Amino acid sequence: MDLTKQLEQDVFVRLKQNLDEIEKLLGNSSDVVKRDFFIMNNNTFEATLIYIDGLVDETKIEETVLAPLLNNNRDLQFLSELTKSEEIATALTKKLLLIPSINKVSTFQDVINELLAGNTVLFVDHCVQCFVLATQGWDTRGIEEPQSDTVIRGPRDGFVESIRANTALVRRRIRDPMFRLQSLQIGKRSKTDVAIAYIDGVVREGLVDEVLERLNRIKIDAILESNYIEEFIDDAPNSPFMTVQGSERPDKIAAGIYEGKVAIFVDNTPFVLLVPTHFWTFLNTSDDYYTQYWMGSFFRFIRYIAFIISLTLPSLFVMLVSFHQEMIPTPLAITIAAGREIVPLPILLEALIMELAFELMREAGLRMPKQIGQAVSIVGSLIIGQAAVEAGLVSPIMVIVVATTGIASFAIPNYFASVSIRLIRFPILIASGVLGLLGFATIFVVVLIHALSLRSFGEPYLAPVFPFSSSDQKDTLFRAPWWAKEKRPADVKDEPERESENQKPSPEK
Amino acid sequence: MKSQISNAMLLAIIINIVYAKAIGVTQGIIARQAGGDMWIVTIFSTLFGLLIMSLTVLIIKRTPEKNILEQTKLLVGKWGEKLIALLMFTFFLGAYGGIMITVVYHLMDYFLPEVPTYIFVALVTIVGVYGIMKGVEVIARLAVLGVFSIIVLNILLLLGSLDYFEIESFLPVLRNGFFNAVEVTKHHNADWAMATLMVAIILPMVKQKEKWMKYSTKALILGGGFILMWPILEVGVLSPEVAGQYIVACMQMARSAEIGLFVHRYELIMVIFFAISALIQVMMCLLCASISAKHIIGGNNLNFLLIPVAVILGVFGYWVVNDHIRAMDLLTYYWPRVAMPITFAVPIIVFLLGFIFKKKLTKGNLDAPS
Repeated sequence: MDLTKQLEQDVFVRLKQNLDEIEKLLGNSSDVVKRDFFIMNNNTFEATLIYIDGLVDETKIEETVLAPLLNNNRDLQFLSELTKSEEIATALTKKLLLIPSINKVSTFQDVINELLAGNTVLFVDHCVQCFVLATQGWDTRGIEEPQSDTVIRGPRDGFVESIRANTALVRRRIRDPMFRLQSLQIGKRSKTDVAIAYIDGVVREGLVDEVLERLNRIKIDAILESNYIEEFIDDAPNSPFMTVQGSERPDKIAAGIYEGKVAIFVDNTPFVLLVPTHFWTFLNTSDDYYTQYWMGSFFRFIRYIAFIISLTLPSLFVMLVSFHQEMIPTPLAITIAAGREIVPLPILLEALIMELAFELMREAGLRMPKQIGQAVSIVGSLIIGQAAVEAGLVSPIMVIVVATTGIASFAIPNYFASVSIRLIRFPILIASGVLGLLGFATIFVVVLIHALSLRSFGEPYLAPVFPFSSSDQKDTLFRAPWWAKEKRPADVKDEPERESENQKPSPEK
Repeated sequence: MKSQISNAMLLAIIINIVYAKAIGVTQGIIARQAGGDMWIVTIFSTLFGLLIMSLTVLIIKRTPEKNILEQTKLLVGKWGEKLIALLMFTFFLGAYGGIMITVVYHLMDYFLPEVPTYIFVALVTIVGVYGIMKGVEVIARLAVLGVFSIIVLNILLLLGSLDYFEIESFLPVLRNGFFNAVEVTKHHNADWAMATLMVAIILPMVKQKEKWMKYSTKALILGGGFILMWPILEVGVLSPEVAGQYIVACMQMARSAEIGLFVHRYELIMVIFFAISALIQVMMCLLCASISAKHIIGGNNLNFLLIPVAVILGVFGYWVVNDHIRAMDLLTYYWPRVAMPITFAVPIIVFLLGFIFKKKLTKGNLDAPS
């Protein structure tokens, strides 16, 4: 009999047959634990508990399952009168077991699924069903400050690897009865728990169905991280731009849900996805909303400048120095020329080598243990940089340009968005070095047209700037004060009001 | 035709499709023929454009789901449609030459004199095709960015030039006579014709037909205003005599503008901010030529025609710009003779045909697939 047919079978009435079948299905895995016993130590009802070691809370099993079932002191009179399997099932669920959540299943497929999910299965001889006891409990990392998306002011809790802990972190922030969580499993073998979260009535009409449809379309053996999901539901799978946002911050995800978005939680990863995503959100941080709005707007403005520098500074420098020297003010042009006097490399090659060296140092610093990583960065950037300039291999101004570009790219809060911008920088740089302004303009416009053509779950990626929505400009380049942001984003149709009108504070008259 | 873009996007496209050529190459020609009256010529031409645009919108409103070519087919059959489509294709072919003069000479004469001409033409055409492949909606979004760029460029140029502005350069007004000023409008009329004939083709793609007239009029006035700043500055700062010496008069304006020591020689700023407008011209011209070609051939699939049409327009554009003297002769003397009859004749003929064959514009016919 093949595996599918074996799994589709109903559980047997006899305990021994069931145990044999489980053994056939799971093999002799060393972490599968079987505990045989007689209910109430009465030889009439033989039973076996099966669970996977490490996935269950053994204390819970002991206190809520084994203890009540092995208790000799209780009145056993009613047990001896039971003959039908339904009566046994009712007695177990309603009179004997203390565990809060019990389900009955009748196929081996369900039994195996529940066992692998960390639940305990109770087989009782002569009973046509078996009982699934919710005993999930494994060691998890404690809630800590997220490694990415750090803030100066704001909550310090970050998502962990447990989907339930993560949904609870968001649920704590959204005490709305209309908050909805829908769960599903993806991965033929991994059976990874995935959940989507949204607020009914606030979420854009049709978005939940669209998300579910895309998730249900995924056919893969295993999902190990949310990026697996991201790549399957992405609107632009071949684009360097990210049209799905991932975050470790529960406050960021909750804020997105309040704005009508859908969050996608994936078990075993602290990165929760948020859709639809607009490009500009990658330049925003949670701090923007937690600090005074002038400060929030100023830092956001700085990040926009950082984005432009990160994307274009090396290309503009190479373009001007190679082809359009007359555009550089004379004193600056002389300084640049003096610095490059002994450099043997063409400027494009010099820029490419420096950019690649910077990326190398960044990657090395990231992969090393933290303390060594810092040392590598310092040695790389200071000592090698200084030596390269003194040896005449690179010009000092090129070091300044590349370092400024690197620092600007680190100012982009979302690490992965920053990497995608760094990727785009290289073709623009090469085109600028080969064809000057023509190359720069051509590749830049191609990238721009590409970005303009992108959508994230039906919404233009560059919205609300392109297409322009005047009502949404209160949270794009500048962050308006909370008392001025009366409405949610324009695409939230059902409940557009976020707050009451005229809440600007003023001294009492 | 499926609605795809908003009226605001239409407004942005109209402004962009006229701006890039009108502020530089056209103004240089006008300066040579009308001298200090170039700003008056620009105003007159904008008024002509307003008139033709209103007529075009009225024509399309009769059959809001069909463009001017489909409406012609409805009125006089497929041969009439093919004739008008041929005229439109000829217009956009010629207009592409003018656009290439604008784009290539801005870059080649001021930045990259050693780069072969065909590289400019090929790259610009490829980017244009890429834009069309992404769809009208994407071009329209790019046009919105183009309008922002135009506003920034105008403000920067204004700030960088006002110190040298001399009101005496405007006197005497109408120095070459009223009729000369009206006659010279043909150069700028040909620019506005790109907008009106484009609208005749793409208007059915625009949502909310009740706002078509309002937004197209607004686009003409705003676009005219953005363009008008240039001849005024060219007269007041450069003087018409100097402006007339250059093929690309606006670049000479930009070169002389400065704000302090470090923001000087605006050529780069100029190209960065006007590039989107120039590319919108390229994309819309390619798109409209492709749609016209589709109506000439009678096919259904536009995508198959994009590359051949781009090759035809590209080769023509290269032939035009490869020789400066030929380019300027064609643009100054021959292009208005081709463009003006098409600009005025196409809308007027179709408008009159609509009157004559009014019965053919019944609801039953309008619903028939084109």
